Amino acid sequence: MNNTLSPRPRQPLFTPARLGVYFFLVSAALFFLLPLYVMGVTSIKPMTEIRLGNIFAFPLEVTFAPWARAWSSACTGLECRGISVGFWNSTRILIPSLVLSILLGSINGYALAYWRVRWAGWFFAILMLGAFIPYPVMLYPLVRMFAAVNLFQSIPNIVLIHTFFGMPIMTLVFRNYYASLPVELFKAARIDGGGFWRIYFQLMVPMSLPILVVALILQTTGIWNDFILGLIFAGRENYPMTVQLNNIINSTQGEKIYNVNMAATLLTSMVPLAVYFISGRWFVRGIAAGAVKG
Amino acid sequence: MKKPRKGPATAWAAHWALLPMGATVLIAYIASILWTVRISLSNSKMLPRSDWAGLTQYINLFTTDRWSTALINIGLFGLFFIAGALALGFLLAVFIDQKVRLEGIFRTIYLYSFAMSFVACGVVWQWMFNPALGIQRSLRNWGWDSARFDWIASQDMAIYCVVICVLWHSSGLVMAILLAGLRGVDDEQWKAARIEGIPRWRYYLNIVLPQLGPSFGTATVLLAVSVVKLYDAVVAMTNGGPGDATDVPTKFIMDNLFERQNIGLASAASATMLVTVVIIVAPLLYARSRASR
Amino acid sequence: MKKLNLVLATLAAALGVASAASAQKAEVIHWWTSGGESAAVKQLADAYNKAGGQWVDNAIAGGDNARAAALNRIAGGNPPVASQFNTSKQYHELIDADLLSSVDDVAAKEGWDQWMPKPIKDVIKIKGHYFAVPVNIHSGAWFWYSKAVLAKAGVAEPKTEAEFWNALDKIKASGQIGFAQSGTLTYERATFTAVLLHMGGRDLYNKFYGDKDINATKSPAFRTVLEKFKRLRNYTDPGVPGRTWNDTTALLVTDKAGFQTVGDWAKGEFLAAGKTAGKEFGCFAGWGPAAPYMISGDVFVLPKTSNKESIAAQQLMARVITSPATQVAFNMKKGSIPIRPDVDASGMDICAQAGVIALKDPARQTPDPSMLMAPDVYGKVADVITKFWNTDMKAEEAQNQLVAVLSAK
Repeated sequence: MNNTLSPRPRQPLFTPARLGVYFFLVSAALFFLLPLYVMGVTSIKPMTEIRLGNIFAFPLEVTFAPWARAWSSACTGLECRGISVGFWNSTRILIPSLVLSILLGSINGYALAYWRVRWAGWFFAILMLGAFIPYPVMLYPLVRMFAAVNLFQSIPNIVLIHTFFGMPIMTLVFRNYYASLPVELFKAARIDGGGFWRIYFQLMVPMSLPILVVALILQTTGIWNDFILGLIFAGRENYPMTVQLNNIINSTQGEKIYNVNMAATLLTSMVPLAVYFISGRWFVRGIAAGAVKG
Repeated sequence: MKKPRKGPATAWAAHWALLPMGATVLIAYIASILWTVRISLSNSKMLPRSDWAGLTQYINLFTTDRWSTALINIGLFGLFFIAGALALGFLLAVFIDQKVRLEGIFRTIYLYSFAMSFVACGVVWQWMFNPALGIQRSLRNWGWDSARFDWIASQDMAIYCVVICVLWHSSGLVMAILLAGLRGVDDEQWKAARIEGIPRWRYYLNIVLPQLGPSFGTATVLLAVSVVKLYDAVVAMTNGGPGDATDVPTKFIMDNLFERQNIGLASAASATMLVTVVIIVAPLLYARSRASR
Repeated sequence: MKKLNLVLATLAAALGVASAASAQKAEVIHWWTSGGESAAVKQLADAYNKAGGQWVDNAIAGGDNARAAALNRIAGGNPPVASQFNTSKQYHELIDADLLSSVDDVAAKEGWDQWMPKPIKDVIKIKGHYFAVPVNIHSGAWFWYSKAVLAKAGVAEPKTEAEFWNALDKIKASGQIGFAQSGTLTYERATFTAVLLHMGGRDLYNKFYGDKDINATKSPAFRTVLEKFKRLRNYTDPGVPGRTWNDTTALLVTDKAGFQTVGDWAKGEFLAAGKTAGKEFGCFAGWGPAAPYMISGDVFVLPKTSNKESIAAQQLMARVITSPATQVAFNMKKGSIPIRPDVDASGMDICAQAGVIALKDPARQTPDPSMLMAPDVYGKVADVITKFWNTDMKAEEAQNQLVAVLSAK
């Protein structure tokens, strides 16, 4: 089986078939880039140009003031400190949630792939079905439960919530990955006398880098962009960036300051985008390395 | 030398290790589902009540025009979105696989949109579809005076605007999954096909496609989860409008849970959706797990 | 002994001073996040801080988001000191579940029984106790118009309904947008409500929203109201679907459209653009000196708590918010009307002054639909209205569906 991802030898450029290929790829690229272009261009136009109403026009006058405003001085209620306020909160929520949800997903996936635990199959099935439940449905009982153990509205609360809701996909992804590794490795480790945890830490974890990156991207995007869970479970001092973003974008009165709104949206998207750009190539490798095989 | 462990790989350590998963399922998922079903059998409005209302909420639900429309909308959306994303993702993967230059850049462009939030997606696409501000206006500015692209204002076509927005968001993921699957297909098969004179497109369709079964399966599961949870994009884009043309079940549930202060009805809707999902998805998951044994 | 007593007394006095000096912290959840609204909230916060409290702001954009957050906080046993709701039935279940503190002391001291407008009293005084602190009075069913657009079409401010339709025709004939409509659920319903109130009449309005009278809903008079509502479509522009109310008001501000029906919160848009009431734009709340005046507004509810400091903070909040000085300061910035009749209205613009005059007449005071209907019924009415507006549904069909909504359990 050809397991290489290196590009294959190149072909001559100017045959009709090749041109057709490039035409399709470039058109698709335009489709994908168009919204980013609109967002970017709007965020650096002055409001006078935006009111003219041509969203595709390149700015006649470029200004980065909206970015500065969005970051540090836009009003989100009585405070006018922009969305930078939420940046550290989002980070404080993201990192423990990432660690916990990925760790548990990986342990679950490993256990499900290699070990026989009779009730695990059923629970995993329920977990997967749970992935399809829209989570507003689960809000009220979770609020009551966390209140009952005095954790309501705190960082531990929101971290556990993100772990709960991330568990189905994380478990699925890790399970498929570990199951696709050659089973001989596991058997050899067993023969060597390895137990559950020893095999996990000494065999599975070192081989997990590709899938770890997949999990990282999926979870970072989901957790960072979340609004309603952070609003309800994080507590006022810990509101994530998306709450400030909502306050800036969805204020009901007054003219919409579109350039600040767009700048704020782009700023909020920076972290998932950065995580994606930096580890993007590993994403495809991670999937190729077996995350999605049957 | 350590004693080799014999027998099937069962260990108490595995049981303990899976305890968090078990706890999560019991506490977060099963408890919530049971609570939801209980509330759906009560008269709860803003706060939960412990009275019994029989099937009143369900009867209300099924006679609500808006709910039927939401179900139709999500059905249409699901169909076109999943089919579209699979098709677009497959095409992108295939074309990128053609040993093109700048493959890395193309891949990055198709995949970055997945990192954007659905809200951002909805807001920008709403602008572009807006007849007075977006594509229609620009086409007219550039001289094509009778250009019409006001799908978003149309009762029948607005849902397809939502389809396009979410396609933009998620097709890249499908492409990545299918591309990885493609790269796992043996190159020798193409050489053999070429010797037999099979054209390249035929090769992809008849020989490669069937081998991508598992990849398509996983992609479909991930897409299906997005379909059921569709909310942010709709709210950001059309807020269910015009009228209820882009109303979707999750929005119906959210509205009744909070703004309409009718958690009894919202719970009935959630329970109904869950049952629907179980009926559709459970057989598929079961078949896949059997196939992979 | 005497010396000890003196020392103890001094200590006690010192402690007493110290605890009075510790400010009463009040976390307040509200949805006033735009520039103008924030300036208004600042008036409340400043007044509260000056009176010895400490305002802790928890602003969340979107009424639904803010109310959802407040509700979950109350459910989780960690309620804010105060939380914003509309003057409506939104918080009545909280009262029934005994989750709100009452403010009878402040109400008695300030004499709310004597001067609070009846529609507001009806939704904040339940079973003889006051459970919410009104902050302002808004009015929903106003008509606004751009003087330039009307002038170009050669019409004056319509003094009767017939003149209104005539004006719309003339504006349309002059190539301008006659009626600016916001294509959102809330504002499609709002326009229908305005048509029902001002063209259908106060009785029909009260029968529908208040009594949920099926016969009134099936009547020919009601059908006429629906048809007139739909008729307004002929005067709108293609950009209606999805357009927010403030973008719609912007059409009047930029002299592109003639009329809009929206509440007095629209005034802020005109003022922000430097327009003056009576000069560039005009306003009227119905036709004639007896026209019904729809009342709505915002309140703060005070979730029940056992924390002594919070209880003190709540009482202070109730006092500060309803004091005359705070009322004037807040409402001038907000564009609404103070709840007290004993404040100086001379600084307000002509639209607000007209509102104050209308408010003084108890016969004109009409409750906003959200004060008469529970949120889910009110929401279902909106579902029918929006479908009626956006599709080719016939008026009879809309009547039938509304009857079904009113009769449902």
